[in-house]
Amino acid sequence: MELTVIPQIVKFASENTREIGDVLGIGPELRVRWAEGLLDKGPVEDTIFYAGEMYPVMGYAEGAFRLTKRLEGLMNINSLARIGPIMKKLRVYAIGARALWGKNNEIYENALRDAVYVLRNLGVKMSYLFEEEPPSGVALHTYGLLKEFKEHAKWVQNRFRELGVKRVITLDPIVTTAFRLYYPEFLEDWDVEVLHFVEIVAKRIAELGIKLKLGRKEKVTYHDPCYLARTLGIVDETRFILSRIDGLEYLEPPRHGVNTGCSGDGGLELTQPLLARKISLDRVKELRETGAEKVYTSCPACIMMLRTGFNALGYRTDVNDLASLIAEAMRNGIIEEKPATVKFRRYHVLPESPKPKSLDSDDLAELLLRETDRCKKCAFCNVECPVARALDKLESRSARGRMTLINSLVRGDPVRPEAVLDRLYSCVLCAQCSQTCPVGLHVQELIIYGRAYAIYSGKAGV
Amino acid sequence: MAELMLYTPVRLVSNELTYYLSLLLEVGVYMNGNSFDDAISEIKRKIGKKKVLIEPGDLYAYSLDASTERREAPGAIVRTYADEDVITTLKVADEKRIPVIPRGGGTSLTGASIPVVPKSIVLDLTPMDDIQVNIDDGYAMAEAGATVLQVDQACRNEGFFFPPDPASSRYATIGGALAENAGGLRGAKFGVMKNWVLAMEVVIPGGKKLRIGEPVLKWRWGPDLISLFIGSEGTLGVITRAWLRIYPLPEKVVRIMGVFNKLEDAGRAISEIRRRGYLPMMLELLDKETVDIVEEVLGYKFPKGEAMVIVDVDGPIEAVWRLARQVENVMKENRGKTETSDDPEKMKNLYLARQGAYAAVTRAYPSVLHEDITVPLSKLVDALRELDNLRRKYGLRMPVFGHAGDGNLHPDICFDPSDKAQARKAKEMFKKVGELAVRLGGAVSGEHGIGFVKKEIFLEEIKSVRGENYLELVRKVKRVLDPNGIMNPGKLWF
Ligand SMILES: Cc1cc2nc3c(=O)[nH]c(=O)nc-3n(C[C@H](O)[C@H](O)[C@H](O)COP(=O)(O)OP(=O)(O)OC[C@H]3O[C@@H](n4cnc5c(N)ncnc54)[C@H](O)[C@@H]3O)c2cc1C
Ligand code: SF4
Ligand code: SF4
Repeated sequence: MELTVIPQIVKFASENTREIGDVLGIGPELRVRWAEGLLDKGPVEDTIFYAGEMYPVMGYAEGAFRLTKRLEGLMNINSLARIGPIMKKLRVYAIGARALWGKNNEIYENALRDAVYVLRNLGVKMSYLFEEEPPSGVALHTYGLLKEFKEHAKWVQNRFRELGVKRVITLDPIVTTAFRLYYPEFLEDWDVEVLHFVEIVAKRIAELGIKLKLGRKEKVTYHDPCYLARTLGIVDETRFILSRIDGLEYLEPPRHGVNTGCSGDGGLELTQPLLARKISLDRVKELRETGAEKVYTSCPACIMMLRTGFNALGYRTDVNDLASLIAEAMRNGIIEEKPATVKFRRYHVLPESPKPKSLDSDDLAELLLRETDRCKKCAFCNVECPVARALDKLESRSARGRMTLINSLVRGDPVRPEAVLDRLYSCVLCAQCSQTCPVGLHVQELIIYGRAYAIYSGKAGV
Repeated sequence: MAELMLYTPVRLVSNELTYYLSLLLEVGVYMNGNSFDDAISEIKRKIGKKKVLIEPGDLYAYSLDASTERREAPGAIVRTYADEDVITTLKVADEKRIPVIPRGGGTSLTGASIPVVPKSIVLDLTPMDDIQVNIDDGYAMAEAGATVLQVDQACRNEGFFFPPDPASSRYATIGGALAENAGGLRGAKFGVMKNWVLAMEVVIPGGKKLRIGEPVLKWRWGPDLISLFIGSEGTLGVITRAWLRIYPLPEKVVRIMGVFNKLEDAGRAISEIRRRGYLPMMLELLDKETVDIVEEVLGYKFPKGEAMVIVDVDGPIEAVWRLARQVENVMKENRGKTETSDDPEKMKNLYLARQGAYAAVTRAYPSVLHEDITVPLSKLVDALRELDNLRRKYGLRMPVFGHAGDGNLHPDICFDPSDKAQARKAKEMFKKVGELAVRLGGAVSGEHGIGFVKKEIFLEEIKSVRGENYLELVRKVKRVLDPNGIMNPGKLWF
């Protein structure tokens, strides 16, 4: 299908995801480098460590994101996206990216290596699929290309079956969400068990009854990634892990746990980089005000946004992956204490997902109309919407405004699908809105379905 | 003429049609597309094009508010960042006869903040949100777009608070709250917005800026123009900033919940609490249907009875528990079962039924007509009984809850819009509820305002109680301030 309503950059990202396996199109060669000599190939006891399509190459994305700042006013993101394919033809793309941004990529590759080190030391057996690791394709879901996502998910399911993968451990909370929540929605018999790194680490630390010794005093804070905390409800594990590291003075930011604040990613760094940066600065200031010397988190996109945010404000505060902190402490020393069973709660703060009968425009329309008609326009969802906050409450790019615009588009008001799509794409998918809506609308997922509708409906001119 | 009819809001009352059409003719703008485009170009040129939005993708987002009614999309949005933006817009719009709708949080439940005529400008005041708390002089200065909660929080940092607390305070703005004379839970003791404003700056059509009132605690010259703008729903001019009175934070608050087997007992307890002068900070009442729906939808469990009353008393630590016991005793004397606490977590639990009412009702029913009547306190029980009769007669669910401390009740009429018969019944019931309020000597709107949703019943109330002369007087006042009728046409009286 020729997709014409979507912006060039989304086209670029989705084609790369499907054809090359990562959003920027860096390619498998650089993607698997981090694991060389560290892990064996193929599943061990049905289990793999899954790097996903973000961590291994996030430093390149970070570099490109910094570049958009430099090019501000000279060139917009969509024109930039047109250069990508030309560079690929010239075969200078990946080489260029590595030369320019290889250094940026180190902390992300280290995070993966550290995660493997930690898991191994806790007695977890696993291996890695290297070039054969199929990308989760979550970017297709993010951008509303749901038919393509479904097709892709089927392919991944088959790949896992062929390779005998039954259990996946990953460091990436966005991938965890895709495998745990979206795949079962789009596939009939998805039965792969997917665990996030912190779930296993917290459980094993408790079972073994150990403490880790950092070997120095440090004031730290933790940024809960929205996918991990709000969507998956994983909060207790990270706090437990932090409490088991000796030497830390832990400082909680005002917005934390399931009420975490957005770091500005959610796909926005590609579609509207300037807005993404603005949102990240809001969070950066909040994290800095905790007085922490170091910020830790558990999501490649959050690391990127917070690193560039701290940098933009001229702060030296280092942002790193929680896995790297655990690894460092583990290398310094392990203190044996009494094993304990700890109960980690699973938080459920989001409403049930809306489900269309199919992905056909008519069925999408039916779902969207029914749901958005229930919206009371009370604006509770707007209060914490990070985009509305960053844009002085501009209604058309707020949570409530998006509900109104989706409704207008489906009803056939004279709004252009491209214009609606543009406003739907200026959403970081943080799901604050879904958490707050008194009516119980899953606003964030409706926005994704709204994107799909704008793309696939005949009205969209596809 | 036929062309004009097209632009007339569907809900328009027939006997108001003549007046409305004359207003349209007076404004005379709706037939002239060019003057609209000219006006927008001029505004863009003067205040900067980034503040003026004309893409339908932006306009349609501004075509709804919490009334969920849809009429017209605006022709343009002007986002104001400074007084000059407001002044310029009102000057140009007045010259070119373009309707202007001031908008804050857009949480009006009566369609007050959305256009009902085409080619209008929505003036979005939310970017103007500066707040300065001045403890020495006893006020907080807030720009129109600051939210009510932001003002309250800014005061709390200094050991004070801002008493009016509409349930929408997280997004409702100071401008919108003044223009709606909003009130909230604390109204039982602290009244509504009009009791808390010392001075305001307003811009009227033609772009003239006026300071009305004084930011001091005492001033006396009249006539008091502040009151004129309070509750004017954006039909006279635009409020750009206000100097608001603030109040010291109470040392301690204690919450008492009472459950009553009979409505009459609850009613007596409420009047007795008032009669004895306890002046509670909050005095809320929920009927059985409300408690039932909250239980059904949100899965909580509450003690059973015909009514639940929740009271907050505040004061110095030494005195507040004595006061709480007195309130408790009044409830017990009237056969109420009580629970009392000053522990924040427990207080939250005692409030759960009230807190969850809006969510439960809106979750369970695809459509809800939120009524908002006020009756004299002595008629509270009569009103509740009559509402119960209506409920039986029409066979629709209608939880009733509200600020019993000031006689303000919110009957929420629940229905399924796809069921035509139900929708018709709901509309009829809505009207009956309003009539009931008027009959008992009350008002059709306690705090949600009139907008265009309640215009019909409001004008009926005015005519029957006050007569045509009153209406004429108000319209004359309007013409002095807004001779071309550009401010928020189709709302309230106009
Ligand atoms: C869930 C919910 C709960 C609510 N609870 C309460 C409650 O407890 N008590 C209560 O009183 N109300 C309540 N309301 C109604 C509403 O929130 C209030 O009327 C509120 O004050 C409106 O503020 P706003 O900023 O959203 O105004 P808007 O809705 O934007 O505008 C309301 C009116 O004020 C005018 N206006 C806005 N700003 C200005 C300005 N700067 N200058 C001149 N005119 C202006 C508009 O033209 C319009 O006529 C509730 C609404 C909702 C959705
Ligand atoms: S909170 Fe829910 S009902 Fe209220 S405006 Fe947002 S989506 Fe609509
Ligand atoms: S609309 Fe919802 S998901 Fe999107 S940015 Fe706003 S709060 Fe987050």
